[in-house]
Amino acid sequence: MKARNLIALAVAALLLVPATAGAVTLIGSGSTAAEPFYLALFKGYKKVRPDVKFVYTADGGNAGVKDVQQGKSQFAGNARPPLPSDAGTTYVKGFLDGLCIVVNPANKLTNITTAQTRDIYTGVTTNWSSFPKSRLHTTIAPVGRDSNGGTYNFFLQSVLNNAPPASTVNALLSDGLVANAVQTNPNAIGYNGLAYVQGNSTLKALSLDGVPCAPANVKTLEYPLSRYIFFVLPQSNPNADVEKFIDWVRTSPEAGAIIAKTGGVPAFNKAAPVKCKKGFKKKKSHGKVKCVKKKKAKKRR
Amino acid sequence: MSADALPYEEASPRWPDRRVERLLGALVGALLALVATLLVVVLARAWPSFAHNGLGWFGAGGNVDHELQAIFLSGDVGGTPVYTLHAWPLLWSTFLITGGAVVLAFVSSLFVAVFAVEFAPPWMRALLDPTIRLLASVPSVIYGLLGVLVLVPFLGNHVISEQQKASVAYIVSLSGYGLIAAVLVLTVMIAPLMVAIFSDGLRTVPSGWLEGSLALGVNRWRTFWKIAVRTARPAFVAGTVLATARALGEAVMLAMVAGSVGFSPNPADGLVFLFEPSRPLAATILSNSDGLSAPPMRATLFALAAVLLVSAALLSLAGYAAKQPLKRYGIQA
Repeated sequence: MKARNLIALAVAALLLVPATAGAVTLIGSGSTAAEPFYLALFKGYKKVRPDVKFVYTADGGNAGVKDVQQGKSQFAGNARPPLPSDAGTTYVKGFLDGLCIVVNPANKLTNITTAQTRDIYTGVTTNWSSFPKSRLHTTIAPVGRDSNGGTYNFFLQSVLNNAPPASTVNALLSDGLVANAVQTNPNAIGYNGLAYVQGNSTLKALSLDGVPCAPANVKTLEYPLSRYIFFVLPQSNPNADVEKFIDWVRTSPEAGAIIAKTGGVPAFNKAAPVKCKKGFKKKKSHGKVKCVKKKKAKKRR
Repeated sequence: MSADALPYEEASPRWPDRRVERLLGALVGALLALVATLLVVVLARAWPSFAHNGLGWFGAGGNVDHELQAIFLSGDVGGTPVYTLHAWPLLWSTFLITGGAVVLAFVSSLFVAVFAVEFAPPWMRALLDPTIRLLASVPSVIYGLLGVLVLVPFLGNHVISEQQKASVAYIVSLSGYGLIAAVLVLTVMIAPLMVAIFSDGLRTVPSGWLEGSLALGVNRWRTFWKIAVRTARPAFVAGTVLATARALGEAVMLAMVAGSVGFSPNPADGLVFLFEPSRPLAATILSNSDGLSAPPMRATLFALAAVLLVSAALLSLAGYAAKQPLKRYGIQA
């Protein structure tokens, strides 16, 4: 009898759980480039509002805007600035997306142009001897992402002008594997989000068209492979829960950390509050908060 | 009435045999229904892709990656769906990698199993058996990581020469990701599974048969090879079928080391053939799973899945057919 009671209880509990959670479901669609960021942000937002659920269909930025215009979606993701055809929608800048062209540190090249990068990835240039400054005379091993994920689409649109990469490009499963391939092969060239490059001595980011790949240059949009990821909302009666979510994405330090981890550049997020270890104290210098060792009080005799 | 009452119902009133029989029967029935539904759903979703291409689906022509890209882009709202696909490079890659790994794993597993069952000293057997079972259950991602971190850089930097790289520089890049890396890692992955099943089969050979042969003065190796290995053939078929099925469906590891390019490696290229990158069916589904939201891409991915599903079914049918004549004097497996 006991066992049966327990089973009955378990079944009842299972049936009750969905009924008690008064969940809000928010529907979005649009950019495939923004999808990995959004999925990570949706996950992170669960800590703030566990009752909000998201459904995001990556059907392309233009399709997403149409969905918002027709009322099918409550918000859309888009990676291009507004066009005249987007009437009836509001664009909100979410965060920035920057992509670095990376090579192995054994490669002495420091600068590459967008056209040269395109030639490598379309199979026109195949040897490093075309770049005398690289001091290499080996066959180039270009690596990139498979068609999943935003970095591939971003690279395709902004470097290859939407032409598919040549068969010389090894398509890898994740951004981390691209970084690994470039780290382990002196002849390799790849592309990675800023998060992979910063503070990593085994991966060298090239300047593109003379502009170094750094957050400061991405924020000013000076760096060629940088762009805003926008949230698109209907002009009339936008959903309040969606607006709260976008506020959280734009301003909270937690969302900023998630964006940076996924390979983007947080544009408006506040810096995370600095926590200092015992024996250290906060000190402001040049607008940055740092932890400084507390001075020990001198013993008096 | 009391004389006719079945005695076991008295002994266990709560779970009588009949009730257990029905419960388990219902579970198995549900499982069969699930498999049937799976087949129907996958084939129905895949139909547009097959219908638009006909037999050309299985043929060669054009660049598979460009075709997949066009299919994906045509899924945009308001576009006309494109379905043209010639999947030969993916099929050829699946065949090469699976076939190569199964042949390599079969030969090595056979000898490892023979050694482990008959010739290994007891202390080594005590060590070998749990190790093999542990290896058989290691997730494929781990093997993939080992391949990417160790094998691929080694091949790319030390084995493949600059001349070989330059010879195909305008077609594919030989950076270590390729056929040989995929086959080797897949072999390491499926061999433990084969060894485990092979040694189970070899152990069930009646010892009287072997003792009889030894008593006639036949040496140990010949006895084992001619009697035990022959008798256990159904187990070899069963193990090979299971391992081949695992190899066919392997996606993550192969997407990591095979090179992920829709290219058909050409045996006429000589040694370079072994280093050429390709991408099998399961890895293609994985690396294009973002496209599931685009209807034409979804149909195409389901078509790739249908081919995998049907080949797995054919494989187990072939295994069943191959086992029948072997079972006559052999063991059951």
